[in-house]
Amino acid sequence: MFLVTISPRDDAGASPDAALVRSLLQNDVNAFERIYDKYSRIVYSLVLRILQQSGPAEEVVQDVFLQLWRNSAQYDSARGPFVPWLLTLARNRALDTLRLKSERQRRLENQTDELFSVVVAPQYEKELDEKRRAERIRSLIGELTPQQKRAIELAYFQGLSHSEIAAELKEPLGTVKSWIRNGLIRLKEGLQTAS
Amino acid sequence: MSSHDQFREMYEAYALGALDAPDRLAFEAHLASGCEECAKGAAEARWVVSQLAYIAPDAGPSDMLKGRLMQTVRSQAKEPPAASSAPPPTRIPYWLSAGIAALLLITLYSAWSAHQAKEELRASNERLAARMEQERTETQQKLSAMEEQMALLHRESAILTDPAATKVTLMPQKIQAPQLVAMWQHQNGIVLAGQKVPMPASNHVLQLWLIPKDPNGKPIPSLTVRPDANGRMVLIIAHPPDPNQIKALAVTEEPEGGSAQPTSPIRWVGAMT
Repeated sequence: MFLVTISPRDDAGASPDAALVRSLLQNDVNAFERIYDKYSRIVYSLVLRILQQSGPAEEVVQDVFLQLWRNSAQYDSARGPFVPWLLTLARNRALDTLRLKSERQRRLENQTDELFSVVVAPQYEKELDEKRRAERIRSLIGELTPQQKRAIELAYFQGLSHSEIAAELKEPLGTVKSWIRNGLIRLKEGLQTAS
Repeated sequence: MSSHDQFREMYEAYALGALDAPDRLAFEAHLASGCEECAKGAAEARWVVSQLAYIAPDAGPSDMLKGRLMQTVRSQAKEPPAASSAPPPTRIPYWLSAGIAALLLITLYSAWSAHQAKEELRASNERLAARMEQERTETQQKLSAMEEQMALLHRESAILTDPAATKVTLMPQKIQAPQLVAMWQHQNGIVLAGQKVPMPASNHVLQLWLIPKDPNGKPIPSLTVRPDANGRMVLIIAHPPDPNQIKALAVTEEPEGGSAQPTSPIRWVGAMT
């Protein structure tokens, strides 16, 4: 995976989440528990949506948080906010588990290093609590066309590529690419407007 | 549309992981060329994509998961951090010393046990080898005795069945006893046999003597025999002297082991014909 070098938001490292993660380096159990209480629900929801089974989902969640505890130094606040990093970690772990079960080619294998890639929150992003953030995203995704929503969900929750989605939906490849791109751009614009 | 515009359309799909391999490789190559605009576009797209997690139906993990995790985390938190100031490297913790000592004892005991087992095995092998050698010797001795007995029987048979053999009848002298018969065959020797022969005194045997024709010659001592419980006796002399030099055969009673010269009166005697 190619690593980009750009300057993220100046205040990324000063967020409360980044401070909690730094505490993990000192074996701060309380900090870990606060992070778990705050984000285990969204992590579990994401993993369960991908794997569809609670048992394997809990195993993946456990792996994700144990990796956070043991390798918290992997998170570099200079490269972006904590939550996208954590969710990307959880998604990749869940998709890895899904691929092992389905024997599908590990198309994203080279992208597992995405954890070390830069994630830049836009200037309009605010610190929202998880509940309000979920409400906002669900509202925006509900405004997409069913085709856009379906194509994005297949890519995000099942890890399918453009051509795999086209085969799944029996639609032209170019059409699928447009659905995904336009849907995500609309989502991005919606987030701007909402903030 | 320029190539840059083409890559600009890939930000979202790249962040989503939906690009097929050729597009993905081309986009990463473009990023590697140092395009800051596309790098920023991809980084922002990653954030948008990360927000998709929130469209998953809301669900919470079980309380047991948190219990397991916290138990693990608390136990690991008690372990000294790897980067913390460690005790002097030369100081060995008590538990490690005890472990090393126990390991050393186990090692020594194992070595001693192995040595003992090896010694026992060696001794057992030696005992087995000695026993096998003894049995082999005994078997060899039995075989030799049987072969010797077989040779005597063959010799006896050859002597007794040879019509050219010389028969010598030994008559008892001053005793009540049956006569003895000797058959002398030039090649195989002499067979002396008797039935219902009186038993000699305790610790005594009957000894055969060959009386030479030479008037100055002394009786030639031969083998000894002791009749069995039924008074039967057979004596085979494999390599007697030239019968032409012998004028008679005689038997006396001698101490066990025989004598160099007769020590008692002649009990049987028979002339060569």
